[in-house]
Amino acid sequence: MDKKYGVYICTGCGIGDALEIEELCEVPEEEGLPVKTHPFLCGTEGVELIKKDIEENGINTLVIAACSRRVNFDVFKFDGCIVDRVNLREQVVWSHPRSEFPALTEEQKDDEEHFDRLQMLAEDYLKMGMAKVEKVDLPEPYKLETFSKRILVIGGGITGISAALDAAKTGYEVTIVEKESSLGGYAAKVRKQLPIQDPYENLIPPVIGAKIKELEAYDNISVKTDTIVARIAGEPGDFTVTLKKPGEKIEYDVPYPLPEEMKFDENGKELDVEAQHKRYMEYNEGKLDILQIDPDGEKFGAVVLAAGWRPYKPEGDEFAHLGYGELPDVVTNHQFEEMAAKGKITTSDGKEAKSVVFIQSPGKGEDDADFKYGGSVTSMVALKQAKYVCEDYEDGKAYIFYQHMRTPGLLENFYISLQETEGIFLTKGEVIGVSKNGDGMIVEADNTLLGEKVKVKADMVVLATGMVPATVDDPVVNLAYRQGPAFRDIDLFEGYCDSNFICFPYETQRTGIYAAGAIRRSMTMEESIEDATGATLKAIQCIESVNRGVSVHPRSGDMTFPDFFMQRCTQCKRCTEECPFGALDDDETGTPKPNMTRCRRCGTCMGACPERIIGFADFNIDSVGSMVKAIGVPSEDDYDEPPFRIVGFVCENDAYPALDIAGLNRLSYSADVRFIPIRCLGSMNVIWIKDALAQGMDGAFLLGCKHGDDYQCHFVKGSELADVRMKKIGEALVSLALEEERVAQFEVAIDDYDKLPKMINDFVEMVEELGPNPFKGL
Amino acid sequence: MTDKYLIEPDVNFIKEIVGLGGDSLKKCFQCATCSVVCPISPDTKPFPRKEMIAASWGLKDRLVNNLDIWLCHHCGDCTTMCPRGAKPGEVLAAIRSYAITDYAVPKAVGKWVNDPKMLPLIGFVVPVVIFLVLGLITGLLDFSPPLGEHGISHSMFFSSWLVDMIFVPLAGWVVVIFAMGLKRFINDIHENAVLEGKTNKKELEFGGLIKGLLRVLPTILKQDKFSECSENKDRDVAHWMVFLSFIGLFIVTNIFFIALYGLQLHGPYSQLNPVKWLANISGVALIIGSILMIKNRLAKTDQTSSYQDWYLIGLVLGLGVTGMFTEMSRLAGMAGVTYFMYFIHLVFVFNLFAFLPFSKLAHIVYRTVAMAYNEYSERQ
Repeated sequence: MDKKYGVYICTGCGIGDALEIEELCEVPEEEGLPVKTHPFLCGTEGVELIKKDIEENGINTLVIAACSRRVNFDVFKFDGCIVDRVNLREQVVWSHPRSEFPALTEEQKDDEEHFDRLQMLAEDYLKMGMAKVEKVDLPEPYKLETFSKRILVIGGGITGISAALDAAKTGYEVTIVEKESSLGGYAAKVRKQLPIQDPYENLIPPVIGAKIKELEAYDNISVKTDTIVARIAGEPGDFTVTLKKPGEKIEYDVPYPLPEEMKFDENGKELDVEAQHKRYMEYNEGKLDILQIDPDGEKFGAVVLAAGWRPYKPEGDEFAHLGYGELPDVVTNHQFEEMAAKGKITTSDGKEAKSVVFIQSPGKGEDDADFKYGGSVTSMVALKQAKYVCEDYEDGKAYIFYQHMRTPGLLENFYISLQETEGIFLTKGEVIGVSKNGDGMIVEADNTLLGEKVKVKADMVVLATGMVPATVDDPVVNLAYRQGPAFRDIDLFEGYCDSNFICFPYETQRTGIYAAGAIRRSMTMEESIEDATGATLKAIQCIESVNRGVSVHPRSGDMTFPDFFMQRCTQCKRCTEECPFGALDDDETGTPKPNMTRCRRCGTCMGACPERIIGFADFNIDSVGSMVKAIGVPSEDDYDEPPFRIVGFVCENDAYPALDIAGLNRLSYSADVRFIPIRCLGSMNVIWIKDALAQGMDGAFLLGCKHGDDYQCHFVKGSELADVRMKKIGEALVSLALEEERVAQFEVAIDDYDKLPKMINDFVEMVEELGPNPFKGL
Repeated sequence: MTDKYLIEPDVNFIKEIVGLGGDSLKKCFQCATCSVVCPISPDTKPFPRKEMIAASWGLKDRLVNNLDIWLCHHCGDCTTMCPRGAKPGEVLAAIRSYAITDYAVPKAVGKWVNDPKMLPLIGFVVPVVIFLVLGLITGLLDFSPPLGEHGISHSMFFSSWLVDMIFVPLAGWVVVIFAMGLKRFINDIHENAVLEGKTNKKELEFGGLIKGLLRVLPTILKQDKFSECSENKDRDVAHWMVFLSFIGLFIVTNIFFIALYGLQLHGPYSQLNPVKWLANISGVALIIGSILMIKNRLAKTDQTSSYQDWYLIGLVLGLGVTGMFTEMSRLAGMAGVTYFMYFIHLVFVFNLFAFLPFSKLAHIVYRTVAMAYNEYSERQ
């Protein structure tokens, strides 16, 4: 594409009042670029001005210096044109009032003592925008060679069946695989279930039968029982799935990555790539490598993972204080449900169980947490099972000792109706122990709503143990991915396969695989049915995005994709290993094999690559590097006391909007800092920081999301990886005789905007105390 | 309290409280809004939150003997503010109603008094039969009485001897029943207060209790607690009128009793007599007060009124109305009407006396004692 540049400066929203627009116009003019100003660029007249330029003068590469890229993005969108937005409003004039950053008087203008910090800031940003558009290209969609729209649903319980029905109703072809010999899962094994519709007051007979029957009406649904997934190879839109019978051993069983310790020889030296591959093949004897595609495999576009859960199995004497394992009438809610489904509730020696105590939290004085893998569903199930007691015996009594009674949504109505049942007694309380008492048992509790330590007689005690997601025991999805067959780091979420529970429900850490139901968190059947719809819609979004050659999420619609300059690859495998989504596989030589539709375009690979051979059409090492180089670094040659220069690499998901909000709220901060938005801190390549410091800048910092087990990163590991890289750069700085403190990383949440000014100013102050970068002006 | 308390819910107790107007008790989810909004609940171990859970667990032995149910004046603030419609005010009223019958012996009488189906029999037939049988046997009832020296005289129709022959023993019965009930009641509330840590007093001293009574007496007479209520502000005027008129009429009755037997002064007395003024003012206040009570109850659609409530208000209104009618028809010289009204009035008085320990009116005794105990106990 032959670039024809055009620079447009908006003077509205206070920009024209605060800045010397004529001087600003000189910046592009000096480079020979045409520049136009308008007092209301986002208005019809302003947009027309740009459009006319595009049509009549063939402008196709635009730098629009106005408001933040986060607003008016639809107004300043011109097909077939490269557009960069220079944020003069939120991050220049709104956050740097003239009262604090005064303009120069006529006399001050030409002396070597005074400078206009605000004007410098605006001019730098304009230069950076101009530098960027020079280095970027228009993206082109990535198209798969073969493409399938079929949806694979793993699990034939209430979630899987609901997902299949939802997908089939929207016209997609679906296959359900179920490891058991019949459909239904746990939903088919209960006596009654919680209400799923208005008025949400009474228990209802299980709905699973009707759901299974409904499947028959759709000929675009096929059901495979007694079947599990041996491997899922390929990528979204083009998955090749090998199915098998449970327990069967086949060559397409997924191979596992070599354990870390096996990568070293007896002397503790890391084996070379080939030796490692050899060991890997031995380790997975009888299984074909992940890159081997099963010619008989079925093709799918996306997967809904609804593999469900299994009842929690108490380990050893875990609940000995509650009599579990020792007293035969202390059972789990699962065992109680099994008994209730068969008939009347009785004790182990066949007597009527008329007094049943339900314990919601294990207690033991540690904390007030519910049983592991519990949640609102274990509260609701206790209410349900308490009702069984009153159904079976007119004078039955059911006690519920809870630390938390969670009744989501309209199930509150069910709670109310249960509460009014005369034989049901509820109290918050900490259960201390269960002991034998003649024929029955005594349950002791402390801190109850009844005011003090209490004891209750019980014929039976039910522990509200939780629902363990299938992914705790087994990868289930068996992905033929180099990073391994299972989801990564899900131990952060106790084995639930979610990538971010709150921000991105259904999305697992593997693009194209969407989790629904109890595999995502413990939930009721009603919630599972709703969950199935959510995951199915996600799967459809994935298929259709892949079909259009764009990213699925969270950068939905992003047409760029990572481009690898393979000739210079050193097979270091860092991209393969660091990708949070397992998008890259590698062959026996260690050469990466990217799978574009698995990719979420975070750029972590680009940040990781020491050879800097990975980039996107509009975001690459060169484009950001050029922006860094475009920043003016005044030295003593320019001014007696030149201002400091600091560059900030800012995560564009949370930190950049937080900066905008700070501007919106007119919070001011140092004008000596230049911000460069990046896709994720994971995409931060240390070369940029090295360049900045080599250029004489006095400091650099990263602004990104919180990391750790309650991370807020859109790309799961980005800010964590950046942290690791920053530690390494610290060592490099020391070797250059630069203070480590000149480089830092800060965590900021989107609503932390009010903390930003202090964060920035403190860093600037600290750098000022260190003194100017000794490389300045060299 | 370190001992563990073995809890055995009594489902029948729950059912009874439900039947006595506490049908919402199981709706409580223990948010304690009631205890917070209650204007008269003490700061230490406040009610009615704890009473609500005890009620929904059917813990009779924590409620019937609990003085806090009597400290409640049924302002209704809790009922209005309750986010779940559990109506703590009504539940406590139902528990009080249960407690009254629990402490009054014979229990069968309590059952009858609180059963609307029994009203015609025990409320009307029984007194009428007693009046007629005793009157006819003794000849103290004269259906065609001559005029007395001052015109119509009710004692010519229904002899004062006959009145006293019936009502003096009845008063005695009331005292005995209350004495028996109170003995248990005081011990129970003390025991419960010790158990729940509401007091540090290990042994109950009656002297102290009497002193406590003397200290709360002004509060009771001024109805101070009632006037702290915000939701049922208007109720305090009505209750105060009825309460004071009862005291007025009690004084009048005693003075005339002494006048009759001590000074041999027979009625009817002059309308100029200051005692008669007190009687007339009290009678009018009784009628106005009870009509106000009815009006207030009907206006509060969110609060339930039980049979026990209506029985008592009906009784009070009946007493006042028949009393005033008796007097007015006598002054108007309508002999037949006034004798009939007097007879009916005596039926109401019979109800008042005979069933005092069994009806809601017994609160006059239990609440007074509970307030005295609370004052004495130095609540912790």
